[in-house]
Amino acid sequence: MTENIPVLIILLPLCSALLCLALTAAGKNLGIIFVKISCLASFMLSCIQLQMVVTGGTIHYAIGNYAAPFGIELVIDSLNAVLLVCFSLIGFLTLIFADNFGDRKRPMLVGGACAETALLITGLLGMTSTGDVFNLYVFLEITSLSAYCLISLGGSRGVVSAFRYMLVGTIAATFYLLGIGVLYAVTGTLNMGDMKEILSQGGHDDAMLTAMCFLIPAFGIKMALFPFHGWQPSAYTHAEPGSRPLITGVMGKVPAIAMFRFIYCIYGTDFRFVRIALIILGVFSVAGMLYGSLMAMGQTDLRKVLAYSSVAQMGYISLGFAIGTPIALAGAFLHMIGHAFMKGGLFFCTGAIRYKYGTTDINDFGRIYKQMPLTCGLLTVAALSMIGIPPTAGFFSKWYLALGAAGQQDWIYIAVLVISSLLNAVYFFRLIEKVFIRQSSELKMRWKSEALELPVSVILPIVVCFVAILGIGLFNVRIVDILLMTLEGVGL
Amino acid sequence: MRKTITVILLIVAVIMPFLAFDILPVIGDPQSAPNTHVSDYYIEHAIEECNSPNMVTAVIVDYRAFDTMFETTVMFLAGLSVVIILANRPKKRIPAHSSLKRVRHSGGRPVFETVNKDVMISVIEPLILIYAIYVLFHGEVSLGGGFQAGALIGMTYLLDVMVVKRDKPIFNLSKTKAAAIAGFGPLIYALTGIVTILGGGLYLEYNKIPLSVHQAELHSIGITAVEIGVTIGVAGTIITILSALMERTSFDDDND
Amino acid sequence: MMTTINAFLAAKGIYMLTLALLALGVAGIIVCNNYMKKLICMNVMQVAVIFFFLCLGQKSPGTIPVAVDTAVKASEYINPLPHGLMLTAIVVSLGTTGVGLSLLLRIREKYGTIEEDDLLRREELMTRKKKDGGDRN
Repeated sequence: MTENIPVLIILLPLCSALLCLALTAAGKNLGIIFVKISCLASFMLSCIQLQMVVTGGTIHYAIGNYAAPFGIELVIDSLNAVLLVCFSLIGFLTLIFADNFGDRKRPMLVGGACAETALLITGLLGMTSTGDVFNLYVFLEITSLSAYCLISLGGSRGVVSAFRYMLVGTIAATFYLLGIGVLYAVTGTLNMGDMKEILSQGGHDDAMLTAMCFLIPAFGIKMALFPFHGWQPSAYTHAEPGSRPLITGVMGKVPAIAMFRFIYCIYGTDFRFVRIALIILGVFSVAGMLYGSLMAMGQTDLRKVLAYSSVAQMGYISLGFAIGTPIALAGAFLHMIGHAFMKGGLFFCTGAIRYKYGTTDINDFGRIYKQMPLTCGLLTVAALSMIGIPPTAGFFSKWYLALGAAGQQDWIYIAVLVISSLLNAVYFFRLIEKVFIRQSSELKMRWKSEALELPVSVILPIVVCFVAILGIGLFNVRIVDILLMTLEGVGL
Repeated sequence: MRKTITVILLIVAVIMPFLAFDILPVIGDPQSAPNTHVSDYYIEHAIEECNSPNMVTAVIVDYRAFDTMFETTVMFLAGLSVVIILANRPKKRIPAHSSLKRVRHSGGRPVFETVNKDVMISVIEPLILIYAIYVLFHGEVSLGGGFQAGALIGMTYLLDVMVVKRDKPIFNLSKTKAAAIAGFGPLIYALTGIVTILGGGLYLEYNKIPLSVHQAELHSIGITAVEIGVTIGVAGTIITILSALMERTSFDDDND
Repeated sequence: MMTTINAFLAAKGIYMLTLALLALGVAGIIVCNNYMKKLICMNVMQVAVIFFFLCLGQKSPGTIPVAVDTAVKASEYINPLPHGLMLTAIVVSLGTTGVGLSLLLRIREKYGTIEEDDLLRREELMTRKKKDGGDRN
């Protein structure tokens, strides 16, 4: 039974999502409870899987027992295993959190939204663990379709931004399909490992370059890398509040993993044009880091601030890919994990503040720490982590990135890293100042209770994110060791 | 600004092919990479391994069955999304631009008055359904399969809705019920895989279905179960989208 | 001269057609002002890629991949894999179009228009009203 864990991790959220509507029709909360339980089970299985991968090495799971190039294969290396744990945890937390934002009078609608979230989790987990390029496309589409729907649930602004995202996202998906079409035309296979083997025999440099021209914009659009980020701020801002942490925290990271797989695991560092590709990627990420931070400084809506800061943070991740040494790649992946919890946590806080006071404008946040100490605690820790202050997760990931850049003598990258961190400090300290120091007008409370500042289902995700950000910071050496098990073999 | 980007894009898109044509194989070349590597294996082993003379069916529901499962899920997801997106209505409309006046079509008789519904319901629809079932169970032998069968069944429902007056429907599936039914399609697919796991195999390894028949028969059983799942998923999705749109328009008419 | 062009068209002409279709689709999404037209262009773009994949599956002496008897030679049948893959791509494009249309319906109901510049103007109006009214959400 244990050999089936890789596929069960994907199947559990899927089956619960498929059953959710029928169960909701049978009993009001039954469907949602079932979805939550199966996502929790998926998270536990991914923890077991991580243990298995750390002790036993990479897992190859051939679906239908057809060997690699003929059937579809799931490949779980140490990288995937860590990310799966992180993503399924955030997915589960989001499901708990989303409970507070549905319209209770329409249980079928709430059940449907819950099913969409579960399908989004399915797509994200599938994209992370698959080892087949076309299977990745199918998961990409599941992710995108459920994301369009969840974004459109956030009111009429959400509908417009979902439509725009849909047009851009479809261009990305089509480009991706075209890119793998070119690769398929020269290799005749769709399996990643097999493709790498055929491409490494040489002679396909032109085809690889053509495919790369399609693949980098495709993943760039999906992960909201700088010049392709146009859809992102409004989509993140107007998404449905319940599922927003998942959309903002995880959705952008998974295409980044796919991009990493293509550049380093399929193309490999022997690819003739790899230097040029990496420099272009580096330019994109440097520009994105500066642009995102500068734009975030000009916003007053906390959601918009965080959305623009995501553009900058995706720049850090792709910067790690652009540097390309194992240590920088480890930094990029550590940042990916850390940022998933930071951004997820910040949006949990935004949701909590909105739940209690109905506002997201940071000028209204005067001294709310008195009423919401826990939320503001996480807000502060996550903000410090974004800036990169030890011992939070953000510091260590930036440290590894800088270490990698220094190893390659890319001084510009280090300079931009520092400047961008300072810009982060400007707008996050503004936020912290608003929350703790500035007095402002009284806010109407929507939710009142003597015992707790917020319902348990809102507090739990906040506490978990709080612990995770500090935990990733404190145990970064262990995590990086696990990540390096895979990355040692693929870097420059 | 926009136009210039477009022009640049077009020029790039026109130049790219000339760069790219060298790398793409000649059309119809039997020795090209896509036609030799895995393709030969599929063609030569489809019959003995999957007991399916139709190689496309063998590829989509046996070798790459995992893809097709999520493809069916995409169908379900699309239906569900349409239901959810159309469930909300704006509280108030922003006043329309003066140039945009709402146009209502009047004139022409509704379909149910122009079509002989007795012929439609008692002659044509049963034939379509029989054909759908033929296509479903013959998918592995000849052309056809779950998607086509599902579309045919969905079309039957659509015809029903068209020829019968709306207040007297023969079957009445609300959008959420239809969506719940559509969910059962992919679920059957996924559970087929779970059954093979319980039989001691890997996911979707049809050889390990715990039934005591011949190996090749097991593949047929697995493929048929999966195709039934696909059929239900597709038919359910078509009905879902149809009901979602219809419930929407009737609501709209009440408002005006 | 003519013969080389003919030979080129016979060997690789269809790729040119599919890529022209792709360029048309992408350009349409960017240039068109009407959201419905953008959606149609999106479909054109997706169809282009489907054609592209089907080109790769062609084999000159091959027939449709349904075996007529048990002894099968690989050279007699065309490549079934792109056909299977594109079935998935078609379903995906159908799903995307369905979701897109329902989104358009919602946009039309709220804003009364699906022209992009008209919509942007109205959105600006809405923002200004919100700032005056103090209605936040």
